[in-house]
Amino acid sequence: MIRALVPLPVVVPMIAAALVSAIRPFVPRWTAAALFTLGAAFNVWCTAMLFAATTHAPLVYWFGNWWPRGILAVGECFVIAPLPALVALLVSTLTLFASIQSWQLKPAASHLEPLMLLFMAAMCGFVYAGDLFNLFVWFELMSASAFALCGLKTAEPAPLQGAFNFGLTNSVGAFFIITGLALVYARTGALNMAQIGATLTAKADSLVLVSFLLMTVGYMVKGAIVPFHLWLADAHAVAPTPVCVLFSGVMVELGIYAVARLYWAMFEGSLATYGDGLRAIYVSLGTVTAIVGGLMCFAEHHLKRLLAYSTICHAGLMLIAVGLFDSAALGGFLLYVVGHGLVKGGLFASAGIVLHRLQFVGEPKLHGRGRGLVWTPVLFMAGAAGLAAVPGFLLETGESMMIRAATPFHFGWIRWIFFFGSVSTGAAILRFSFRTFFGWGAPSPADAASRVDEKQETVEEGRKVPACMFVPAALMIGLAAMLTFIPSLSEVADSAGHRFADRPAYIATVMHGAALEMSQFQALPSQGGGTIRSTLAGAAAVLLALATVWRRQSHLSGVLEHLECGVPVLRHWQSGHAGDYVLWLTVGTTVIGGCFVLLLH
Amino acid sequence: MGHFMYGVAAWVFLWGLYGIVSSRNLVHQCVSLAILQTSTYVLLLGIGYRTGGTAPVFADIPVGTLVVDPIVQSLMLTDVVVEVTVLALLIAMVVKANELAGTVDPEELRVLTG
Repeated sequence: MIRALVPLPVVVPMIAAALVSAIRPFVPRWTAAALFTLGAAFNVWCTAMLFAATTHAPLVYWFGNWWPRGILAVGECFVIAPLPALVALLVSTLTLFASIQSWQLKPAASHLEPLMLLFMAAMCGFVYAGDLFNLFVWFELMSASAFALCGLKTAEPAPLQGAFNFGLTNSVGAFFIITGLALVYARTGALNMAQIGATLTAKADSLVLVSFLLMTVGYMVKGAIVPFHLWLADAHAVAPTPVCVLFSGVMVELGIYAVARLYWAMFEGSLATYGDGLRAIYVSLGTVTAIVGGLMCFAEHHLKRLLAYSTICHAGLMLIAVGLFDSAALGGFLLYVVGHGLVKGGLFASAGIVLHRLQFVGEPKLHGRGRGLVWTPVLFMAGAAGLAAVPGFLLETGESMMIRAATPFHFGWIRWIFFFGSVSTGAAILRFSFRTFFGWGAPSPADAASRVDEKQETVEEGRKVPACMFVPAALMIGLAAMLTFIPSLSEVADSAGHRFADRPAYIATVMHGAALEMSQFQALPSQGGGTIRSTLAGAAAVLLALATVWRRQSHLSGVLEHLECGVPVLRHWQSGHAGDYVLWLTVGTTVIGGCFVLLLH
Repeated sequence: MGHFMYGVAAWVFLWGLYGIVSSRNLVHQCVSLAILQTSTYVLLLGIGYRTGGTAPVFADIPVGTLVVDPIVQSLMLTDVVVEVTVLALLIAMVVKANELAGTVDPEELRVLTG
C-alpha cells in the first residue's frame, strides 16, 4: 500500500500545476491559490507517510516495474531512505508555508502557483532519484522553474538581472554535471547509482576523479560554495518573498545534499583511499565559504541580501559536515539542514512582512520605521537566535553532532568556524532589528544594494499584519525550536545518516531488493562544552549587534565601522556581471582541480 | 576517431566558456551558452560511438549486430530538450530587459552590486 505513494509527491503536484495553469484564466484567483495550498498539503502528508515507512527499511520503487536484471539496472527508480525522505518532507512543509504566505501576493504574480508546484515536484524527485541522469533531469527542472520564479517581477530591472545571472551561472554548472556524468558512464556503462557504486570499486584513476570533480562543482554552484556563490545574492534579493523561502530554505541545501549523495552512493568505494586529501579540500572550501558569507552578511544592509549571504555562510558550514566524508557527520548535517531551512524560511517570511508593512527592505530607509510593529520584532529576534544556534534550536543539536564527528579527524577547530558563522549572521539580523524596530543608534550606512527598492508585492489591507503572513513565519521558526523536544531525535538522525552512508546495504537494497540489516555503528560519545559555546555565541551576537548600533559611544567604533562597511575586495567581487561569475566558476574549478592533483595521489 | 572526439568536446567547451566570460551582450552570452552545451553532445556521442557500428534500430537488422550505444543518444536528446527550455527562458528575460531598459549590454542593465 505504502509503495503506491512513492511516485505521488512528484506526480500529483505536476498534475495540479497543469490544472492550475489551464483553469487560471477562467476562475477567481483564490481557486488557484487554494489548489496550490492543497497540492502542497497533500505533499506534506505523502512525504510524511513515506518518511514514517522508511524507518524500518528503505523503499525502492521501479517505474513501470522495470526491475533490475541480475546486475543490470534497466529501469528508473526512486530510492527512499530516511535521510532523503526527511529532506523531501522539509521541501513540502516549506512549500506549504510559502503557499499560505502567497495568498497575500498581488495577482500580477499569478504564474507563481503552477511554477511553485513544479518546483516542489522537481525538488522531491531530486531527493528521491536513484538514477544519475534522472537526478540531473530533476535538477534541471528544478533550476528552470527556479529561474522563472526568480524573474517573476519582470517590471523591475533588478529581478531581470538577478534571474539572468542565476540562470546563466547555474546552466554552466549543469554542463559541468553532464560532462562528469558522461565520463562516469563511459567508465562504468551504467547510470543507476547503485550499479555505478557496485562497479567502481578499484582505486579511482584520473578519469573517475575528473568526473567526481566536475559533478561536485556543478552541484556546488547550486549550493553557493565560494567561489561559485556570486549568483545567489543577486537572485535571492529579487525573487518574491514566498519564493525566497524555498530558495534559501531548501534549494541551496539540495546542492550540498547532492554532493553527499554522489559520494556515498557511487564514489565511496573508489575514493576512500584518498580520504585525507578530499577532506582537506572540501572542508577548506566550506570554511572559506562560511567566512566570506559571514563577513558579507554582516556588511549588507538590504534585508533580503543580508539573509542571502547568511545562507551562503550556512551552506559553507553544511559543506564542512559533508566534506568530512564520514558517516557520523551526516546525522548532524540532516538536523542542521532541517533547522536551518525552517529558521531561514521563517526569516524570509518575516522579511515579507517588513516589505508588506514598511514598503522597503533597505536598512537605511527603514531606520525606526518599524516602531509600530509589535510581534514582528519577536520573529526576527527568535530567528536570529535560531541562526546563531543558541541551545533550544535544532541548529544547535546538529552543530554539536557535526563538531563531535569532526574531532577524530583533527578538525576540532571547525567549532570556531561554526562560532564565527553563528555570531556574524545572528548579529547582522539583530542589528537590523534594533535599528528598524527600535530606532536605536544612528541610521545605518547605505551601500549600493540597499538603495535598490522593491515594488510592493502584496495586497494592502488596513494597518495590520495579515495572519496569512505572520502565522507561517511564526510556525516555521517555532518548529525549529519545538522539534528539539522530540525524544531520541539525535539517535534517529544519526541512524538515518549511517544508513545513507552504508553503500553495500544501499546496493543490495536497490539491485537485489534485499532489506539488509544495517551494520552496527558506534554512537559518538557526547562532548562537554557545546552548550556553553552556543550560549556564548548567542551572547556574542547580541553584544556585537548592540556595539554596532551604539558604536558612537564605544572605543571600538573604527573596527565596527570597517566591519559594517565590509571588505572592499569581497564587495567588488560581487560585480553583478554573469560573465564574471562564470569566470570565477572556471577559476574555482581549476584551483580545486589543481588541489586534486597535488593532494590526491 | 576515439580521442579526437574528446579533444573536439573540450575545445568547444572552452570556447563556450570564453564566449560567456568575455561577452558584453546578453544575446551573445546566450548563444555562447548554447555553444558550451554542444560540447556535451559531442562528448556523449563520442562515448557511445563504436567503429563499424550501425544505427541501433533492430527492426531490420539481426539481433547481435554491432550498433552504437543508444543510451547516450537518448541522454543527448533529453539534454537538448531540457536546455532548450532554459535557453528560451533566458532569451525571454533578455527580451524583457530590452523592453525595460532599451539595451542588452549587461553593464548598463546592472542594478545590484556589492
